[in-house]
Amino acid sequence: MTDRTPVLVLGLGNVVCTDDGAGIAAIHKLLREYDMPEGVLALDGGTLGLSLLPLVDNADQVILVDAIKADGPPGTQVRIEGEEVAPAVYERLSPHQIGVADLLAGASLLDRYPDRVVVIGVVPESIDLGVERTPAVEASIPELVDRVVQELTAMGYPPVRSSEIRDESHGSAAHVARTLGV
Amino acid sequence: MTHIVVDPVTRIEGHLRIEAEINEGQVSDAWSSSTMFRGIEIILQGRDPRDAWAFTQRICGVCTTVHAIASIRAVEDAIGAKPPPNARILRNLIIASQCIQDHVIHFYHLHALDWVDIVSALSADPKETAALAQSISDWPKSSATYFKGIQDRVKGLVDRGQLGPFANAYWGHSAYKLPPAANLMAVAHYLEALEWQREFIKMHAILGGKNPHLQSFLVGGMATPVDPDKQASLNIHTIAQFKKLIAGAQEFVSKVYIPDLLAVASFYKDWAGYGAGVGNYMVYGEYPLDDEANPDLYIKPGIIRARDISKVEEFDPSKITEQITHSWYDYAGGEEAALHPSAGETKPNYTGPEPPYERLDTSKKYSWLKSPRYEGVPMEVGPLSRMLVNYVRGHEQVQGLVNHVLKTLGVGPEALFSTLGRVAARGIETQLLVDKIGDWVDELADNMGKGELRIHDNSKWEPESWPADCMGAGFHEAPRGSLGHWVHVKNAKIERYQCVVPSTWNAGPRDSGDVPGPYEAALVGTPVADPEQPIEILRTVHSFDPCMACGVHVVEPGGREITRVKAR
Repeated sequence: MTDRTPVLVLGLGNVVCTDDGAGIAAIHKLLREYDMPEGVLALDGGTLGLSLLPLVDNADQVILVDAIKADGPPGTQVRIEGEEVAPAVYERLSPHQIGVADLLAGASLLDRYPDRVVVIGVVPESIDLGVERTPAVEASIPELVDRVVQELTAMGYPPVRSSEIRDESHGSAAHVARTLGV
Repeated sequence: MTHIVVDPVTRIEGHLRIEAEINEGQVSDAWSSSTMFRGIEIILQGRDPRDAWAFTQRICGVCTTVHAIASIRAVEDAIGAKPPPNARILRNLIIASQCIQDHVIHFYHLHALDWVDIVSALSADPKETAALAQSISDWPKSSATYFKGIQDRVKGLVDRGQLGPFANAYWGHSAYKLPPAANLMAVAHYLEALEWQREFIKMHAILGGKNPHLQSFLVGGMATPVDPDKQASLNIHTIAQFKKLIAGAQEFVSKVYIPDLLAVASFYKDWAGYGAGVGNYMVYGEYPLDDEANPDLYIKPGIIRARDISKVEEFDPSKITEQITHSWYDYAGGEEAALHPSAGETKPNYTGPEPPYERLDTSKKYSWLKSPRYEGVPMEVGPLSRMLVNYVRGHEQVQGLVNHVLKTLGVGPEALFSTLGRVAARGIETQLLVDKIGDWVDELADNMGKGELRIHDNSKWEPESWPADCMGAGFHEAPRGSLGHWVHVKNAKIERYQCVVPSTWNAGPRDSGDVPGPYEAALVGTPVADPEQPIEILRTVHSFDPCMACGVHVVEPGGREITRVKAR
């Protein structure tokens, strides 16, 4: 197929549940500060679960950016790859865990699981209701963005830092990102 | 007596937990509790009302569009904005396609495994499955070779221990009644539905751009340009794409979903006798067909009380109240107050046990959901309510579809008041919508032809054009049921915002008179063959479409957890 996505970078999480929105905040920061090379599609996937299937099962490599429950204090950087991904997604307790599990299982059932799935994220402190992230997690977002950039670079798709910080896209998507504080 | 705790997780507003007493093999009492605070109302206070939809859209990951729709309608009602005809049509397309996709996903991916035994499918004879499939539909994928291929694929997943969503359930439970051949057919269609929904939801990509969250909502209209000749607009090519997707949906629903529904239901007719619930049904109405102040609606509003299908009352939004007698909130007016959502309060006050706990004290407050009531009475909302109200109101297409289903199953209309009725109504509504949605595409194409390209009413965009103090309500029929948002705008800021969501109507706790909510009432009388594997409870709760996966905990009478079963 000619219209496949070589690399999909998908921010996941809920921006109205404090640190659960870390992945979303990271993806918007990435899009503001970098130009994605051809072949890379970076998107805010929210908590959409199965509705993201057409994006995921059409991608060769997928980087999921998310809050991840793991050992370590809030803000600790976490990276999961390969066979560890599915159990990690099932075990995590967050308001959107089921959607991500369904999503990956769906791709697997259709025999279109991406060649490679990497989850990059940070350990949350709170996933209570709220539009602001806790200080430790907010402070970890620049490093999270750097790690996504490194991952893309290692995959052979280095993003280029844009000369000026700008809206990631024209029109309403950028407006929504500003509105939501991400 | 056995006390069971079912602790599922819903994505619509956090976690849903069911506690039930089992006496002599059936549920004698049940309590429904949401164990997660949902307080989007608090986040919205003081914000620009034009931004509210972007927040409410994130309440729930599965039904993002529904809270955006209710929110823009509420704000438009408050400030007096009048969306042009194309905005109404585009919204109808978004709402209907969301509902169609959601219902198919619910039937195949969230509910089917309560009725279909995957493991039994592995022992089916593919030839028998082919004969069965060909006898109920002319859907082309029905050869023995095809079903053998599916069986091998699922076997492969089992052998590799990669069952995924199939891994956690009650395979082999005595409550499964389908023969192996039918189970295999259902498994094949589970996979086909997964593939199909992935294509169909491209409707939303066309309507809202590549971003997974539709960004095309706008108070006063829509942000999707309509122009027959422009590349970056909804144009003649997108009309053709819509038509193709809709034709595919019609084919899938009428040749796969409905035949499967009827085939599965024919083995579970006893479930037409369980799960009735409160017997009161409410519909706000949906799909405006014109641009008048009170438009004609394709799905009509109304109220049915006490399973009396000889008449429908008019729906009156002023009769809605919410109580908190059993909810972890305070009201300034005291425990017994019943507040209309336009004067609603969201003051959380958790008085429940410190988690993790084994049991809730259900004589006190036990849920984060309030108890919504209509004239003081609990109401079920959702596809069953919509199809019942429209059946009784003489909606020609609804009557035709309902009668066809009843006749095929050889049951009367009273069978609809049940768990099975809820499942059937969802399928009927899906067929109704795939048959209707093309009309809105035609209407959009007609407007393009006439040069009617307006998508937004700019006259009320600037806050200076708004009344200094105004209130509004936005009503929407979401896939799961009636959704209402109420907004009070003061000096261009949100003064008060309240959402009453479908799952609050259906899953809410007892009220001040100790009258159970719809889930609680529906579970009473449900048979439970094995308290350690309460699949029957899941059937009734899932029939409401609470949009969840669940971990099921089974607790001994003494309260000790004896087994933990993870359901999907």
